[in-house]
Amino acid sequence: MTGLGALQILVFFGIVLVLTKPVGLYLHRVFEGERTFLHPVLHPLERLLYRLGGVNEQEEQTWLRYAGSLIAFSLAGFLFTYLIQRLQGWLPFNPMHFSTPQAPAFATPLTPDLAFNTAVSFMTNTNWQAYSPDTTVSYFTQMAALTVQNFVSAAAGIAVAIALIRGFARHTSRTIGNFWADLTRGTIYVLLPLSVLATLFFVWQGAIQNLHGPVTAHTLAGATQTIEQGPLASQLAIKMLGTNGGGFFNANSAHPYENPTPLANELELVLMFVVSAGLTYTFGKAVGDPRQGWALFAAMAILFLAGAFASYGFEQRGNPNLSRLGIEAAATRGQPGGNMEGKEVRFGIADSALFATVTTDASCGAVNSMHDSYTPLGGLVPLFNIQTDEVIFGGVGAGLYSMLLYAIVAVFIGGLMVGRTPEYVGKKIEQKEVKMAILAILATAVCILGFTALSAALQFPVHGYWNPPGAAAANTGNNAAHGFSEILYAYASGAGNNGSAFAGLNANTPWYNLTMALDMLIGRFLFIIPALAIAGSLARKKVIPSTSGTLPTTGGLFVALLIGTVIIVSALTYFPALSLGPIIEHFVMHAGKLY
Amino acid sequence: MWRELGPGFRFTLAFTVLTGLLYPLAMTGVSELLFPRQANGSLVRVHGRVVGSSLIGQAFPQPQYFQPRPSEAGAGYDATQSGGSNLGPTSAKLILGATATVNGKATVAFDGIEDRLVHYCLDNGLPYRSSQPLRRFEDAEGQLDDVKLITAFNAAHNPLVFRAAVPIPADAVTGSASGLDPEISPANARLQLARVARARGVAPGRIRPLLARYTQPAAFGLLGAPGVNVLELNLALDRRFPLR
Repeated sequence: MTGLGALQILVFFGIVLVLTKPVGLYLHRVFEGERTFLHPVLHPLERLLYRLGGVNEQEEQTWLRYAGSLIAFSLAGFLFTYLIQRLQGWLPFNPMHFSTPQAPAFATPLTPDLAFNTAVSFMTNTNWQAYSPDTTVSYFTQMAALTVQNFVSAAAGIAVAIALIRGFARHTSRTIGNFWADLTRGTIYVLLPLSVLATLFFVWQGAIQNLHGPVTAHTLAGATQTIEQGPLASQLAIKMLGTNGGGFFNANSAHPYENPTPLANELELVLMFVVSAGLTYTFGKAVGDPRQGWALFAAMAILFLAGAFASYGFEQRGNPNLSRLGIEAAATRGQPGGNMEGKEVRFGIADSALFATVTTDASCGAVNSMHDSYTPLGGLVPLFNIQTDEVIFGGVGAGLYSMLLYAIVAVFIGGLMVGRTPEYVGKKIEQKEVKMAILAILATAVCILGFTALSAALQFPVHGYWNPPGAAAANTGNNAAHGFSEILYAYASGAGNNGSAFAGLNANTPWYNLTMALDMLIGRFLFIIPALAIAGSLARKKVIPSTSGTLPTTGGLFVALLIGTVIIVSALTYFPALSLGPIIEHFVMHAGKLY
Repeated sequence: MWRELGPGFRFTLAFTVLTGLLYPLAMTGVSELLFPRQANGSLVRVHGRVVGSSLIGQAFPQPQYFQPRPSEAGAGYDATQSGGSNLGPTSAKLILGATATVNGKATVAFDGIEDRLVHYCLDNGLPYRSSQPLRRFEDAEGQLDDVKLITAFNAAHNPLVFRAAVPIPADAVTGSASGLDPEISPANARLQLARVARARGVAPGRIRPLLARYTQPAAFGLLGAPGVNVLELNLALDRRFPLR
């Protein structure tokens, strides 16, 4: 580690810390339906959207109705996304002629299973990309299908977090708000204006934003180079802000057009955390005690910093198999040292490891370096971040509601220790809440471990339909422990709705496309539905005054209990699998053995 | 849930128009107006002809040019196939390389870090230690044969072990994440300086100022890492010190 590298991590954290309160207050105003400075411009648009949607935004919904609206909306989004992909050959803005007879030789066909996987992936805010965008999708698909889902799946996630906050903030109430109002407000007052500003910043820094076909360059060396173009920056902005993560290009935010400078990179980092960090303050504000929000923030911040420094440390130490060849591992003034395979010079080691940590904390999944080429423990950090159910700031909305489920489990454990009915922010935590929280946490674990085990073991006929390479484990791009890590990472990424990958795995086969889709659906909806059920149940309850016997949930004790719960639950669940992947690979690497 | 489907589809349609068409198209228009160069790909033209993009790396096999990093994008710097090797730290393919038989002929499937290191040291006249004389791996024309080298690195018995005797910057022999990295580290550029100067018949000291000029420092001296833009540097070289 270098002092400058460590400083980069701290500066980034400082920016997030400073933004948390103002963003949180703004979010609170927006979702309470109060006036904001954007109302003169955007309020007419908001009214128009309600009229087009045919809803009365004042109408309060029970948690079941709220969940029903969300699921219906997700279903419609899924169908739109699927159809646009399948029809892209007939739709406009397709200068590369994908899905037509004139498609270039390198094009990948958008098969039904691939389109299904992609539609589920974007609808669930995962942005797992079994397709390679460079060779598969038209500009129309990028804009009208994928960008749209980037906005609305993010807004739906924020809506669920707001509904759960209302569950805590309200009492003796049957309702938790109106989904359509929360969806619309999140999109037009939060995501859209910030995306507009971010787009312009990214273009200024060098991101492309045009509708031309590819440019042919005649290089100095006397060859030709085809450089793809497209409406990238507008999608980049929401892909980061909405913690979606699906790249416009295959190399995602490592592509120089998709992340041209360290300054652009810094904005991408901040966009990933800004809404989720702000929501912790919104929570505290809504329940009438900002310290409740800061306690969640503190737990998240400690876990984030631990992960960032760990990943950075291991990446900077590099790969002993390369040091032995005389390749420099230590950073000097003229070169970054460390493990540079799969990393870009302009980001070096610190900004790459920081990005990998943030993108997996935040359920984003954009990458500015290739996680598959990380050192075993440097890559374990992103994998473990996802396996904590992405509660470390987390996806927009998803991070907060997931962390609140862990908070419920934490106070439950605390209550067991002292033999008292647990309470959290003035609400009694009873059987129903704990059951729902555990259901969500277990469902993802079962998915991740179950599908990984199946893919490690299942044999398919070679050249068959389900998995042409044969055994599902034959799709890995690396051998031995690292190949296992690729599969484990894929299903963790799917269930965690992250979308990043150990991308050596060839996941574009019907087996992986369909199981990953199932994995993503369970990871999304078996978190959202229990969270809304808890919201409904809490909203009905009376507020109980805190007494001397109440565990204070604003102090260091609670923060430690919460961190402990997150780590213990994830570590107990995943340690056996992790020891077969990154942990054993770490020892193998230091023994100098190659596979 | 079913009665919610009506609003579900209507909202999806409305948001598709707003965020899927109006937003990206408006942003395209505004970007064209405010930042036309960047919005259209930061293209570099020489005598009106596009020679590349200052953001997208390209291959420079000739010795008179500074060379970029190894690239995993397609066959190398293919800007329609961005991506990295995705090979892990214990991958034999990554470190030792791999050969494959195509139409009955042995070819290089992946060059690997050892093979790149051999070329980097020899091209730039850097000291090295080799467990076997490299002459053994030459072809009939006296050129190093990569298939022979990679086979020797992978040999089960008495494999070829090649080490650089000066510290080699990691970026010189590792692939980037995008395969299109436009930059190399300043240390990597300095090691290539003597070769470029010799190929152009000028003293290294005359090229050194150009190197400094095209080195992009970390933003605010803090964010990211310094790098040298290979295309811009090579363009400047061709202008200042054209090949005779």
